[in-house]
Amino acid sequence: MRDRELKKGSAELLVLSLLEHRPRHGYEIGQLIELRSHGALRFNVASLYPLLYRLEKRGWIRGRWIEKAGQRRRRFYRLTPAGRRMLAQQREGWLKFVEAIGRVAAIEYA
Amino acid sequence: MSLQSSMPDFKEEIRRRLAPLELTPAREAEITEELSQHLEEEYEHALSTGATAAEANGAVLKELNSTDLFAREFQGGERRDGKDRDVLGLWRRRSAWADILQDLRFAFRTLGNNPGFAIVAVLALALGIGANSAIFSVVNTLLLRPLPYKNAQQLVMIWENAAHLGFSKNTPSPANFLDWQKQNTVFEDMAAFAERSFNLTAAGQPERLDGRRVSANLFSLLGMKPIVGRDFVPQDDQPGTKVALLNETLWKGRFGGDPDVVGRAIMLNGESYTVVGVMPGSVRLPAFGNWRDQVWVPLAFSSAEAADRGDHFLQVIGRMKPGVTLDKAQAEMETIAARLAQEYPKYNTRIGAVVRPLHEEIVGNMKPALLVLSGAVAFVLLIACANVANLLLARAAVRQKEIALRLALGADRLRLTKQLLVESVMLSLLGGIAGLALAYAGLQLLARFIPQDIAQPGLIGINANVLIFTFAVAIVTGLVFGLVPATQASRFNLSDTLKEGGRGSGAGGPGKRLRRVLVITEVAVSFVLLIGAGLLINSFMHLRNLNPGFRVDHLLVMNVDLAEVKYPDNARRTAFFDEVVRRVRVLPGVHSVAVAGNLPLTYNGDSMSIAVEGIPDPPPDQWPDVIYRAVGPGYFSTMGIPLVRGRDFNDEDKMDSTLTVVVSERTADHYWPSENPIGKRLKPGSSTSATPWRTVIGVVKDVRQNDFIAEPKMQMYFSYRQLTNLVPNALVVRTTVEPLSVAASVRNAIWAVDKDQPVSNIDSMEHVVATALARERFSMLLLAIFAGIALVLAAVGIYGVMSYSVAQQTQEIGIRIALGAKRSDVLKMTVAQGLKLVGIGLACGLAIAIVLTRVMATLLFGISATDPVTFLSITLVLLAVALLASYIPASRATKVDPMMALRAQ
Repeated sequence: MRDRELKKGSAELLVLSLLEHRPRHGYEIGQLIELRSHGALRFNVASLYPLLYRLEKRGWIRGRWIEKAGQRRRRFYRLTPAGRRMLAQQREGWLKFVEAIGRVAAIEYA
Repeated sequence: MSLQSSMPDFKEEIRRRLAPLELTPAREAEITEELSQHLEEEYEHALSTGATAAEANGAVLKELNSTDLFAREFQGGERRDGKDRDVLGLWRRRSAWADILQDLRFAFRTLGNNPGFAIVAVLALALGIGANSAIFSVVNTLLLRPLPYKNAQQLVMIWENAAHLGFSKNTPSPANFLDWQKQNTVFEDMAAFAERSFNLTAAGQPERLDGRRVSANLFSLLGMKPIVGRDFVPQDDQPGTKVALLNETLWKGRFGGDPDVVGRAIMLNGESYTVVGVMPGSVRLPAFGNWRDQVWVPLAFSSAEAADRGDHFLQVIGRMKPGVTLDKAQAEMETIAARLAQEYPKYNTRIGAVVRPLHEEIVGNMKPALLVLSGAVAFVLLIACANVANLLLARAAVRQKEIALRLALGADRLRLTKQLLVESVMLSLLGGIAGLALAYAGLQLLARFIPQDIAQPGLIGINANVLIFTFAVAIVTGLVFGLVPATQASRFNLSDTLKEGGRGSGAGGPGKRLRRVLVITEVAVSFVLLIGAGLLINSFMHLRNLNPGFRVDHLLVMNVDLAEVKYPDNARRTAFFDEVVRRVRVLPGVHSVAVAGNLPLTYNGDSMSIAVEGIPDPPPDQWPDVIYRAVGPGYFSTMGIPLVRGRDFNDEDKMDSTLTVVVSERTADHYWPSENPIGKRLKPGSSTSATPWRTVIGVVKDVRQNDFIAEPKMQMYFSYRQLTNLVPNALVVRTTVEPLSVAASVRNAIWAVDKDQPVSNIDSMEHVVATALARERFSMLLLAIFAGIALVLAAVGIYGVMSYSVAQQTQEIGIRIALGAKRSDVLKMTVAQGLKLVGIGLACGLAIAIVLTRVMATLLFGISATDPVTFLSITLVLLAVALLASYIPASRATKVDPMMALRAQ
């Protein structure tokens, strides 16, 4: 349960970060989150896609169906300028949050 | 290898879970597609890590089931703010404008999604519209544009017909013209004119003008009115009346457009003429070579001239009475000519009359070239349209599924059609705009190559009719084929189309056949164009390699026209030219210099019949015609005309020494085929004429004098010092440096002898020869451009069809590779498919070309219209291009990953 709350707070940041440099499709996003977190974070279909649609609705990302020869039609998401600003904001917010937690919980980094 | 068969259908599962949300059908379809893809990939991933199908299926479904949040999560995102995204094609109550705006936005997006398609289509359209408009504007201006005269179709040129002498259109003599004028009943009016050059020595630099003597009624006959002052009146047409009309261009250039020029006296050939008016610059009269009409004076025959039937120098123009046909005019003129032949047998035996439309006379020998070009225009337009059609058809096949889906989701067919229409129109418009830019740029480029004697470059603008026509054709093509998806979708069973998913070899049956036919057509038509261009290029190379009969390089030429008033006799002319030659010879960079009369390739006249001692005169209608030129000492060595026998003229050939003549090889062969011509005698006219005999002192090689392309005719040369009535009018300078670099010092040397002497048309002989071939070069250039465009378009067409077909066969290719087919086999198979179409196209093209190139026969020089070398090399070029165009998509096919290919759909 806690796990899910935490994920929910950070999920937007994760998706936005992954789209920072190039457009990706949903499956790829899900895979990358799992891969880069070494399996610690995992989204299932029912939470990943609603999140993507929500971000799209807010105008932070934008999905487009793209066809390439020899491949299936996929919906690729890319960051909008608004999304880019939001990413910067969230990054900063997240850093401050982690710092604050660290100070309160007296976590020391070696 | 049948991963496909066991793939569970997740879509149903997803739809079931989405159902409570009551999404719009389109939105639901979209989400379903995206999610099912995700699940399929997870499923495959599970399989690839060793799970059985059942395990994989369970894992995936567990993921779907693992959360009770499914509906809730989606509900939050999808339904919270009630309204959903617009679904295109869905029927709604909206204003027409909003629809169109939406369609435009959508069209932009769709085109943007597939920039390759958009770029190629726009480019094909731009080439078709732009290049065609530019070139057709030129053709149109030269061939179809009406003359600037009122009722120009009534205007004709009338010639003497002396076909038995090789002159089917001979310039009439004054007495014949006056009789024609009096006796005919078919012409409203008839006028004559003759070229005459003038030395204008008013203020400033002396200038040589091209002008004409004209009948006083010429301009009223043409329907031209002066822009300043008055036209000639009948009283002007009397000997001794010294009045002149100026051309607008001369008036603006030399007289600053000053309206007070009327009534002013100007010096022409040393005599004072009063300017009575200025005629518009649009006056166009048929001319031999580069004759500009700068100034006009009345014809004003003297009584001796008016009675002359032997001197043929006029051009005659007539305006047919309303209702009179060309045939009727021709018939009456023949009757009159026959009567004159009976009355004056000495001059007019077998002399007929020929009536020809003025327009034809002016565009004259450009006509076959222009017709070939018009054909080329039609061909390129055809190819461009085929290309656009092809691209749209290929796209239609790809979009079949999309359209079917939208219809299935309840889209209004009318609305859908409108949207496709908007998309096609936008594509066509983009192409049209690019085409307009291309047309404009192309015309600027072409203008530089238009031979000056056909039209002033400034006169040719983009022809609006042509532009509208090509634009309309291209857009209609775009519309017709752009709507195909809508009609096709209605023919297909929707669920089949959706299930099939646009894959497989069976896709798009009739569309596919049509596309192949289009490619075959493109190949065939571009083959014909390339053959045409190849033949012209080949023929032009032959022309360029023709030996003109003299050395073209390092030769500076210029006109030095002496005024009759200032240099009335031979002694004064000789003194002037001797002094000029003496001064020019010592200039740095000059090797030799000689006086010349009517330089080769700049003049199309001066021929006479001759009598030869010891050979009886032929009957009156069989006199051979010999071109003659008056030249000075050292002419042959300076020109680089090889002397075959005897000697060049020298300073000792004077009025009081033996009269001499140099003949060309052809003349020598004709009269003395087996004898040494040196020492033989000949004279102008007949053996009984009063002129003295002239002794042949030399034989020179034939020179292409009047016409670069035709075989040289018989020629002879006189020393101008031994002539009283023939005045040389040019100087030729053999240089050791770049010819034009000594032009200024030569001119100054001439002005040092006579500061009022005009020096004109200073040019290198190389440029003169190039100009003589300007028309041929122009035709070749235009057709080559067309052929190039055709080649590019055909390549695009082949490429488009092949890439589409490869994309369609991705799965088949994947299976083949998975089953062990070598990639090289796949490559061969795919390229072979393309080449099969090209082969059929080539065969058709070959058949058409063999028939059509016959039309070009008159344009070709030195090669036949079915020149095997041209045919073979063009075939190879087209094959190479076709190979490349099908190789690129084919090699892409070999890179297909079998797994990917099978997974697709």
